[in-house]
Amino acid sequence: MASLRRVRRTVVDGAFTGFCWVVTGVALFALGLILWSLATQGFGGLNLNVFALPTEPSGSPGGLMNAIVGSIVTCLLAMIMAVIVGVLAGTWLAEYGGESLYAKVIRFLNDILLSAPSVLVGLFVYNILVAHVIGHFSAIAGAVALALIAVPIITRTTEDVLKLQPTALRESGVALGTPRWTAIRKILWRSAASGILTGGLLAFARISGETAPLLFTALGNQYFSVGLHEPMLGLTQPIAALPLVIFQYAMSPYDDWQHLAWTGALIVAAAVLGTNILARIVTRERRPS
Amino acid sequence: MTAVDTQQPAEVAETYEHYAAEVPASLVKVHVKNLDFFYGRHQALHSVTLPVIEKGVTALIGPSGCGKSTLLRAMNRIYGLYPGQRAEGEIMLDGENILERRVDVATLRSRVGMVFQKPTPFPMSIYDNVAFGVRLYEHLSRADMDARVEEALRKAALWEEVKDKLRHSGLGLSGGQQQRLCVARGIAVRPEVLLLDEPASALDPLSTRKLEETIVDLKSDYTIVIVTHNLQQATRVSDNTGFMYLGRLIEFAPTTELFSAPKAKRTADYIGGRFG
Repeated sequence: MASLRRVRRTVVDGAFTGFCWVVTGVALFALGLILWSLATQGFGGLNLNVFALPTEPSGSPGGLMNAIVGSIVTCLLAMIMAVIVGVLAGTWLAEYGGESLYAKVIRFLNDILLSAPSVLVGLFVYNILVAHVIGHFSAIAGAVALALIAVPIITRTTEDVLKLQPTALRESGVALGTPRWTAIRKILWRSAASGILTGGLLAFARISGETAPLLFTALGNQYFSVGLHEPMLGLTQPIAALPLVIFQYAMSPYDDWQHLAWTGALIVAAAVLGTNILARIVTRERRPS
Repeated sequence: MTAVDTQQPAEVAETYEHYAAEVPASLVKVHVKNLDFFYGRHQALHSVTLPVIEKGVTALIGPSGCGKSTLLRAMNRIYGLYPGQRAEGEIMLDGENILERRVDVATLRSRVGMVFQKPTPFPMSIYDNVAFGVRLYEHLSRADMDARVEEALRKAALWEEVKDKLRHSGLGLSGGQQQRLCVARGIAVRPEVLLLDEPASALDPLSTRKLEETIVDLKSDYTIVIVTHNLQQATRVSDNTGFMYLGRLIEFAPTTELFSAPKAKRTADYIGGRFG
């Protein structure tokens, strides 16, 4: 009996482990296929023109320069807004809000926002900024939409990493006669810095590939729209962005545009991969030994 | 002001056997009087009255959950971080009731320092750890700050071990060194009272001995209250001891007296190892 049970256990164990291997393999295979097609289709079009020339009508030599700059501008603007709001909101939830009703409501709404379809965020910003406040599509509206997607991520990670900080660290700062807010800024934020930074980088990785919220806000721009000589630095103008160009070009019937779309996708993927790797390095190096 | 308060309601005072040695008021730095403490609806301290003698070490002993740490945490109002925790009664520091609302807690805590069970170095250099609290209250020149940091580290018996690596992270020190760093950080702001909440419980025997020597050295300058589970430690470092049980102070006496001739039966049972 005992040996029979042992055989059965071995078989079940082997089957389960094997199943896990297969399922993992399927997921990795799909990922590999995506990366492979990106690489094979994208690398071919990668040359200096991509970075040096703005988008042009099909047939003329063109690049993605305006889209790359546009993506950087909108993402940076979005991150500036999102980090300020997200870190402060997360800090409030972790350090002051506690289990109060207000904090619970905020936490709940933040979790909903975390999983809200990004197209809704785009429509929301469209209704307010594009349709009314500014009156037309603009880089700022795009950045606000992206920020709305990044804020809940940063809020959540900030709250989580702050709550992971030992109570004794919090108390010992305050026990020195440090005002609460000073203790949070100078001790807790520093102690949680790598975690907060990781949250920020992950949020950045997420928004750098977002297309839907930009469709209704930044719109896209065939030309290079930002510059010091532009009114408001060109930020009140529609702006190009890589995901938008990819979306538009990939749907087009022209071969050269389709190639550029692949190249753009490769650039976005590389940027996201780079940010994720950076996030890992940062977390590893800052971890106390 | 008499040392043992007579305003205690008779019914509370009479429900349990307790003894408190008389202490001349002039020697008392912190006088806890009729202190009740609540965690929400749960009452953790019942009318505790305890004199803490200036420039001496007062030990608080008792089984887990008896309220030793709670009492300690009332003395710098650190419990105020948590809504739902509240203290009623009086804690007189130099004749002023620190439980009153108008008392500025940050200033209070700069006068009453605290060291915790687990070492809690801040994520910064050894130097900055010690200078942290000082910078909040004083604007010292570079040289003065250097001197203050050295003084604090010397008093905490850590100077010789870290003087060549003051710019290194405090997180890189051993557990015992980290705890002495926390002591140095606490005394750098020149508090009058130092609260130690089981400061040696996370340390190895050698580090414990060093820390105990530090405590004994420090009492010439500071009034120290130490919570400890270790009865031998209480006898080694303290001048007076309070034995607590179920949120009440059962007995308060000079340490030698309390350990050699306890008056309350519970005290005798506890130090005799019959419970707790």
